[in-house]
Amino acid sequence: MNRSMLSSSPYAHNNQNVRKVMMQVQIAAFPALMAHIYLFGFGIVIQWMLAVATFIVVEYSMLKLRGRPVWPFMSDLSALITVTGLVFCIPPEAPWWVVVSGSAFALIFGKHLYGGLGYNPFNPAMLGYAFLLISFPVQMTQWTMPLDITGSTLGLIESAQIIFNGAAHTHTMDMFTGATPLGELKTSLTQGVTALETLNREPYGLLFGLSAWAWINLAFLLGGLWMVLSGVISWQFPVAFLGALAGMAFIFHQVDPTLYPPVSFVLLSGGTMLAAFFIITDPVTASTTPRGKLVYACGIGILVYVIRNWGAFPDGIAFAILLMNIAVPLIDQYTQPRVFGHKLKG
Amino acid sequence: MNPSNLLSVALRFLAKLYPASKRWLHRFHGGVFPQYYKSLSATQPIRKAFIPEKLILPLEQPVGLPAETLVKVGERVKKNQLLAQASKDPQKALIVPVHAPTSGTVMAIQPMTLPHPSGLQDQCIVLQPDGLDEAIVNALEVDGSHPGSPEALKSTLLHAGIVGMGGAGFPTYAKIPNQRGKIHTLLINGAECEPFITCDDLLMQTRAQEIVQGALITAHALGASKIICGIETNKPEAIRAMQEAASNTPVEIRSVETVYPMGGQKQLTLELTGVEMPHKAHAVDLGLLMMNVATYAAIYRAVVHGEPLTSRLVTVSGLGLNKPFNIHALIGTPFSALAELAEPKVTLDYPLVMGGPMMGFQVQNNDVPVIKTTNCILANPPEPVAMQMPCIRCGECMQACPVNLLPQQMYWHTQAHEYDKVEKLNVFDCIECGCCSYVCPSHIPLVQYYRHAKSEIKAMHAEEKATELAKQRHEFKLARIEREKREREARLKAKKEAVKKEALAEESPSAKKPEATAKSAAEAARAAAAKRAAAQKQSQKSDDSNNPPIPPARLKAIEAAKKAAAQKAQQKNEESSASSKVNREPPKSEQDEKKPDAKSAAKAAAMKAAQKRTQAKKQASTESASEVTSAKKDARQRAIEAAKKRAAAKKAELQPMAEMETEQACSDSAFPQQADVKDNTTAATELTETTTSTPASEKETARRAAIKAAKEAVAKRKAASPSKTEQTENTATPKPDEDKRKKAIEAARNRAAQKRNAANESQQGDK
Amino acid sequence: MIEAVLIFLGLALLFGILLGYASVRFKVEGNPMADQIDKVLPQTQCGQCGYPGCRPYAEALANGEAEVNLCIPGGNEVMIEISEITGLEQKPMAEGAAEPKPKEVAFIDEDLCIGCVLCIKECPVDAILGATKQMHTVIEKECTGCEKCVPVCPVDCIEMRPVEVTTKNWKWPEPQTIQEGK
Ligand code: SF4
Ligand code: SF4
Ligand code: SF4
Ligand code: SF4
Repeated sequence: MNRSMLSSSPYAHNNQNVRKVMMQVQIAAFPALMAHIYLFGFGIVIQWMLAVATFIVVEYSMLKLRGRPVWPFMSDLSALITVTGLVFCIPPEAPWWVVVSGSAFALIFGKHLYGGLGYNPFNPAMLGYAFLLISFPVQMTQWTMPLDITGSTLGLIESAQIIFNGAAHTHTMDMFTGATPLGELKTSLTQGVTALETLNREPYGLLFGLSAWAWINLAFLLGGLWMVLSGVISWQFPVAFLGALAGMAFIFHQVDPTLYPPVSFVLLSGGTMLAAFFIITDPVTASTTPRGKLVYACGIGILVYVIRNWGAFPDGIAFAILLMNIAVPLIDQYTQPRVFGHKLKG
Repeated sequence: MNPSNLLSVALRFLAKLYPASKRWLHRFHGGVFPQYYKSLSATQPIRKAFIPEKLILPLEQPVGLPAETLVKVGERVKKNQLLAQASKDPQKALIVPVHAPTSGTVMAIQPMTLPHPSGLQDQCIVLQPDGLDEAIVNALEVDGSHPGSPEALKSTLLHAGIVGMGGAGFPTYAKIPNQRGKIHTLLINGAECEPFITCDDLLMQTRAQEIVQGALITAHALGASKIICGIETNKPEAIRAMQEAASNTPVEIRSVETVYPMGGQKQLTLELTGVEMPHKAHAVDLGLLMMNVATYAAIYRAVVHGEPLTSRLVTVSGLGLNKPFNIHALIGTPFSALAELAEPKVTLDYPLVMGGPMMGFQVQNNDVPVIKTTNCILANPPEPVAMQMPCIRCGECMQACPVNLLPQQMYWHTQAHEYDKVEKLNVFDCIECGCCSYVCPSHIPLVQYYRHAKSEIKAMHAEEKATELAKQRHEFKLARIEREKREREARLKAKKEAVKKEALAEESPSAKKPEATAKSAAEAARAAAAKRAAAQKQSQKSDDSNNPPIPPARLKAIEAAKKAAAQKAQQKNEESSASSKVNREPPKSEQDEKKPDAKSAAKAAAMKAAQKRTQAKKQASTESASEVTSAKKDARQRAIEAAKKRAAAKKAELQPMAEMETEQACSDSAFPQQADVKDNTTAATELTETTTSTPASEKETARRAAIKAAKEAVAKRKAASPSKTEQTENTATPKPDEDKRKKAIEAARNRAAQKRNAANESQQGDK
Repeated sequence: MIEAVLIFLGLALLFGILLGYASVRFKVEGNPMADQIDKVLPQTQCGQCGYPGCRPYAEALANGEAEVNLCIPGGNEVMIEISEITGLEQKPMAEGAAEPKPKEVAFIDEDLCIGCVLCIKECPVDAILGATKQMHTVIEKECTGCEKCVPVCPVDCIEMRPVEVTTKNWKWPEPQTIQEGK
């Protein structure tokens, strides 16, 4: 039977395809990458290259093993987005095996074992991240100090030495790593220091009035807004997620400012913006209905705040997302849109 | 400037920044903004009419049953002559007549490929034009006046063969309600949202008057007060022309946003009136009626000029053509002829598309004809098809769907063949607009999945219905058989009763003579007759379920019957042996000799016989059952055998002697019947073996064999039952060494004989 | 320790009661099993299951006297449905009988028919029209395709023909996924 016997209209297409969508996401991450390099040094570049190498090897072998066509599925670049998301979550100077094992885990267990692109219930990047957090808590929480604190960043060579050898001859690990602001906040709160005090403490120097973490978040925001405007991601995700998070932060900050950080800090710290625009918008694992997207993102926002403030981990994004992934089928079920000409049900 | 205008200006500005905001400019959900390519053909003037070498007129139309031809091959027809029309009530058949588009000769009436996605063939009239274009003027015999009632308009539309020319091709007359005033608003669909197609655009530019007049005629007939025409903003020329034509008339021309699928009936209705047509409801029920501009123009020409619909404006366009154009093409013109006129860039070895790129379909043969719904012939050279990727759940399709469905979920379920779930997701509300496929980044042919699912679901429902029907009919048949059986039994019983009564009546005068037992015997006989009927029924039941024990009541009844019968026979023999009829078997001398203790002997014999009979029945039934299974091997021979058997049984019915027996056999359950007949037809079976294979000779042999078998059966049966005494003797000494089969046959035969004897006796009593 | 045990016991008791209540309260008052089974059977009435029709087979199943895999026209699908209703274990269809063929309907060659009415008697749904000594025809719409009439015809003039595809019952083919395969 020839092909034309089977094809059916429409014979036109808007020329969008999965690869283009993924490329746009990748491009949108560029400002954040730049900011990252500027603020934390070239560590992230090495990490990213390691992750890409892992992605190529893992994808190739998994597709071969599963007997799928290799080129079309590798070239859809969805795995690139996964590892990129993961790299931003890993400390830039973490040992090389952290990122390699994380990426491999994310791709194999997060995607291929479920049947590949489109069939995975959990966000692969977050699955990899959660895996790393649980397996290597020390390496994962030791972040490189940003430029505003140390006043200088590591060069490419130095970063490579640290990543591959554990130490460069000029620096030792402790000299330039520390907890992230979120981690710091958590530790100090347990020591009885108030949130405000911690935040106003000196080491957090400012760069044009904003901390390094805030800058990174702003870079993500920039790329994210572009994606929303060009229609790559739905506006519902960031709006609902940030809205819910800000709402929670506002309420609790009003209740007790000594215990709960202000809204601005919540929104511009940790991986908030990364999650809002790059992680929770992963269509495969998110809710698909318009109202479902709002519910899903809201749920993540609330969970993130809860985990950050009352949970065991400084940043709860990974767990919040994974938890909401479980709820997606349910959300989709109950948020079906009203079909044209049908009465609103129930 | 009113606020809504302000808003739309603001949105238009925003759209530059955020393209998706264009969707907020129209009232329905979703929609897409494809590349239109309309200027390809819209910029060209309408090409002058052209008569192809042959015209193909399908009898089957998109909706309804096929039409019946009125012409013969070789006949010369004139333009506008009626060629075919509905054979049934057109309201039910939902079809419109077919008219000759030009004058010429009917070349053939044969199956040709239809312009249908399946590429199936069906009967078509093939017309060879003579080029003279001789026309019947005013073929519909109208006086040019505007019909004042819906009925009058409908009849004209029916005879003019007008169908909805925008898409589905639903007969227009069937769309119009009968009551006047039911439609309050008439809508004119001039949106034409599909890329490439410009025929409505050009029609509005060149025949705006006709469209407006057609709408006015319709509104006049239906009593509609409002007429609204919606035209997309990308046709400014058409809007201007229509506005000009509509000035000083109640027709309101409104421009609507350019978005696909604005021309969808429900979408445009919402846009123009703000009414969202409820699911499953018809626009007519809401007092709205929407028709395409081309349909209105056709209505005008039919009502005013009496012209049937024999041509339509067709866009011939596509990226594969050098000179796209619009043309008033005759219905029946082959696609390829029109496409060739447009100077294809390369030879047309790829399939043409009927309709636009969004909702059209590829024809399976480029020679298919233009039909009344063909608005566009598209020649787009095939492009490499992007590979289909798995759904990434991006939700683009959902955002584009004008019906607000969940295309991705419907797709998943269709792929998993869970059609019931697809139906729950309202796949039947899908208008197959193609927006979802258009935007899907994974290039999934979503619409084809829905089309497939729809046809599967339809087939599923049809099957369900058929199953239900089959069940009902089967149950009905069982009930009927049951009823017939009961009736037959009742008849049999009545007959027996009557016979008995008569016998008694005859017996009574002679009842004084015999000994004291006579009276009681008569009474017993009467009781026995009643009981026997009951017992017979019971015996059937016990046959079916193979219940070994004979109910005592039955035994008693049989006994009593036998007693009475024996006594009666004795009496008869004693008194009127001389007067016994010739056709009756000669009475045996032994019986006469044993007169003194005949009573007790008969009693004993009857007992034995009854026991024997039940045994035999059991055996016979088990045996014939096993035989049935083993006989499956050569089903055909067996079938023929069965036919013979039954034929024999039927033939036997002709013999008055056997009548009783056959009826009994029929009313018996299937297995004993088979055993009964079996021995009668052993000869027949032998004959069947020699049957030849040709059906004709088979028929012949079958008949001959049947007759022969029947004859033999009767003879045998006669021989088998010479007298009661002999029979009792036979049964009294069973041969244990004989194989089961013979025994069963024997027993069955005995039973038959016994039955007949009883019958004979009662018959004899009459005489 | 003892509290924990008590709490667990209490919980177990509570849930037990709840479950018990639910099973009584929300019991599905379904129609008798035979009816349910009869519903899923194809109603071809072909007797290939060894019972005179679908209903008797359904009844035999409901009484637990029959295997679940006997209905040949129904194939695996029906077998699974039956096993779901009856709770009996699924069984593969007997080999050689596994693939149900596309629906066919009987067609009588009217030139050969001798009008013996045998087929009429056999047809479980009265889909054959005719009278003694007259040619017979099959009402295509009502024929279930049981093939029962085929063997009884003494002159072999009945044959099974596939249902004709027209534009009205034509089905859109399922799109072929190119991604699988090559
Ligand atoms: S084809 Fe059907 S599902 Fe797809 S967009 Fe159109 S109406 Fe919606
Ligand atoms: S547009 Fe395609 S990939 Fe996206 S959700 Fe719909 S079907 Fe899936
Ligand atoms: S085999 Fe035939 S008679 Fe038996 S259940 Fe199936 S369809 Fe009905
Ligand atoms: S069984 Fe055959 S010959 Fe007899 S009536 Fe039916 S079709 Fe005709």
